[in-house]
Amino acid sequence: MTPAAPPLYTLHERIWHWLQAALMGLLIVSGLAIHYPDRLRFLGSMAHAITWHAWLGAFLIINAFLGAFYHLTAEKYHHFLPRMDDFTGAAVRQARFYLYGIFKGERHPLETDPRRKLNPLQKVTYLVLLNILIPSQIVTGVLMWGADRWPNVFDRVGGLWLLGPAHTLGTYLFLAFLIGHLYLATTGPTPGALLRAMVTGSSGNGQAGAE
Amino acid sequence: MHENHRVVSRGPWPAPLRAATGLALLLVALPAQEPAGQGSSTPPRLAHPAVILKDDAGRNVLESGEPVSTRRTCGGDCHDYDFIANSFHFQQGKAEMDPALLASHGVPAFNSSPGMFGKFSIIPNRQLTHSGITDPSDADMSQPEWLTKCGGCHTGGGISEYDLRGQRFLAPGAAPAGALDPSYTIRDREKGQVVAWDWAKSGIAEADCFLCHVPKASRAARKKEMGAGNFRWANTATLAESGIVTVNATGGFSYNRAAFTPEGSVKAGALNLSDPALENCAMCHGFTARNATAIQAIQHADILRGTEKAGWIYNGAKISDTLSPKIVGKESMTYPWDAHAAKGLICIDCHFSPNNPGRMLQEDPKKNLRYKPVAEDLAVYLKRPDHNFARGNIPPETVNVTRHNTMRACGDCHDAEKGHAFLPYKSRHFQALACQTCHIPAVHFWAYRSDDWGFLMDTGTSRVTFRGIDGSIVDPESDVTGYLPAYIPAPDKNNHMQIRPTNLITGVYWFDRAKNRPVFTWQVQQALFEQRPAEGEWKYRAGVVKAFADKDGIIDIPQAVYDTPEKIALVQGLLRQYSGVTDSELRIEVAPWAMSHSIVGKGQAIRECTACHSSQSMLHRPMDLNTFLPKNVPVIYRGRKIDVVNFEGKEPAFDNRVLLQSFYIIGNSRSPWVEWFGWLSVASAALFSILHGILRLLKGRL
Repeated sequence: MTPAAPPLYTLHERIWHWLQAALMGLLIVSGLAIHYPDRLRFLGSMAHAITWHAWLGAFLIINAFLGAFYHLTAEKYHHFLPRMDDFTGAAVRQARFYLYGIFKGERHPLETDPRRKLNPLQKVTYLVLLNILIPSQIVTGVLMWGADRWPNVFDRVGGLWLLGPAHTLGTYLFLAFLIGHLYLATTGPTPGALLRAMVTGSSGNGQAGAE
Repeated sequence: MHENHRVVSRGPWPAPLRAATGLALLLVALPAQEPAGQGSSTPPRLAHPAVILKDDAGRNVLESGEPVSTRRTCGGDCHDYDFIANSFHFQQGKAEMDPALLASHGVPAFNSSPGMFGKFSIIPNRQLTHSGITDPSDADMSQPEWLTKCGGCHTGGGISEYDLRGQRFLAPGAAPAGALDPSYTIRDREKGQVVAWDWAKSGIAEADCFLCHVPKASRAARKKEMGAGNFRWANTATLAESGIVTVNATGGFSYNRAAFTPEGSVKAGALNLSDPALENCAMCHGFTARNATAIQAIQHADILRGTEKAGWIYNGAKISDTLSPKIVGKESMTYPWDAHAAKGLICIDCHFSPNNPGRMLQEDPKKNLRYKPVAEDLAVYLKRPDHNFARGNIPPETVNVTRHNTMRACGDCHDAEKGHAFLPYKSRHFQALACQTCHIPAVHFWAYRSDDWGFLMDTGTSRVTFRGIDGSIVDPESDVTGYLPAYIPAPDKNNHMQIRPTNLITGVYWFDRAKNRPVFTWQVQQALFEQRPAEGEWKYRAGVVKAFADKDGIIDIPQAVYDTPEKIALVQGLLRQYSGVTDSELRIEVAPWAMSHSIVGKGQAIRECTACHSSQSMLHRPMDLNTFLPKNVPVIYRGRKIDVVNFEGKEPAFDNRVLLQSFYIIGNSRSPWVEWFGWLSVASAALFSILHGILRLLKGRL
């Protein structure tokens, strides 16, 4: 009897991912309600939207730290580190697949398994996301949240004139990432395979995480 | 009872509380000479000792029949007249004629002081003549003319006792320094020549203590005497409604013996001397009343100043109860014209004498003291009460520049942090917004809109328009619609820029670039008119009629505008030819007149976030300025060339984007490149996904 293959995504990883996804989605939505308070009133007043946004941001920060803690202590961070021995070649192969091979029915250039979940393009994207965009959003968001609490710090770093546009730009980039992420999640063996993998842990055909 | 309650309930300041309590006890112990009238806003007071009215020789006026001398009557052993008269209320800027002081406060050098006596204002486009001039063309408004025009309100003392070099008029040795000395001359209106002023005939107007301290003071009678150049009798005339003096058959004043005791002092009930009541301040500063259902903003042919400039009404009555004028939509305005007035606050509660131990602020920010336990002694205060009354600092006022932000401000009574539970980021909001921004959401009265001195009507004067009213301001049937304020940044007490509500008065006027000052009104008159009779219509020059008049040869309001460069050039030529103005420039001035009265309570204040935080933010609300503004001429805003006029709409409107550019208002402010790059990123991701998905679908790979 063959032992069951380990899941591509552990239960912990899946819960963390969906929690983070939900928080980011809600943060974008509540952020847009703050950015367009007269047009997007589904959260009630702007003051309510700000309260929601602040609490969601707090939960995201906690979740982000838990994720960082998990990946560091469980030594899972290597998933995000590009392999420099063939990074360029693998990245070109991945790009060629998206731009050409996928239309010809070619196999995905990366066979994923629990030890190797991300392709080179994903690694670069997540490195930027995890090391620049999320920290930037957290820092600018916390500073704006704390404008009344630490006014001197808030003013010293440029106040709303710097933090507001910076946080807004980060939101747009997150939104762009989210659209791309959702679409590329349909590029598995079947449109729903990758999504199923992130829900159940396995795509059921031995190839997952190709996005 | 109510007034007593006001005194004893005042409590956040220990020393004032002690003083006020003491005063209240004294009130109980000592019966006042005359009980305050029903409905009067006269504050509780100690009985003033009997007063003997004296003339300038120190004789009882009952015996001499001469005008009252306040220097002799109020000064002398009781009050320090010279100390009092050296304060701003009597000097009006005369004590601040220092070019360095002007420069340090950003006041252009063509003003001779930052105060009312010396500064230029688009209303009424006149300037006090600088001392030391040698050319008659540099003379505009001399000191005597200023007193005849403005002395009805401005209460004598320094400005009408001393010349610009500090000599007391009519004193031995007092003499003009040349034929053009602005303290001793006046420009004859018809002939246009500078002629001597006869001080011996007009006499001196000493500080008019009665105007503020006698409940039945008559500004109308005072104004009449000052306007007629009869300065000597002006203070006595102020008593015309008190029963102390009556107008005699020759038009002069006679004392009414019935108002005096057998010993020769004035009966207490006649003078009724007190702290200034609402009614006293109201005579000059704007419509103020405790509970008035008829708003009479025009009194004695003057529009009350605060009401004129910004439309504020300090009145405790509900707007809905207003009987006159017709306030449009008043039925739904079941709240007071001013919340503070409804609570019984009077002017001197906030604008107090700085050394009044019962009212003074006892903090010392320089020493980090919120309470300074050493208060002024009451006796010292009574001898030398400081008449540099505590004041704020709202645009455009430059007056009394050295004493800005000395008054009891909102935060000295209200703890805003403890209220406003609905408001996130309270401190940031309170730093960025003046309290008035939310607590004056609308002005329900009319106010000045424009005063155009660039082209004069056939009366020789400017064209004035008002906002907030359909019809004439003197017609009680006109609909008073009120207006929504514009918003400007202005420095607060701590020099942080705060957004505050304001009216805007737009003027068009000529500026003399060669002499770096506004062109005087008489020069514009000389340029435009060939005949300037004292009474009746003035006659425009033929060239002016040809260029400006309609086909019937009439220059009416729609024609009296600079709508082509040729018309501007024509008048520039006339100014050069007839007025000696070699380098003139037509200018627009947009003057903010911010407001601090007509305050509403929390029930009517703005609470909706999107009032400011939205694409339609009220903070950027355009305000119509003047239908007939010339294009392509410099726009002056608070002394600097800043283009705050937007000509793109139906009518020229105020555009404050450049003024508020230092404020980032979430929900309203946008960083263009962030928006472009951000949405481009989102659109690119979406477009890539859609196109890629369609291609996969077409290739059967989805």
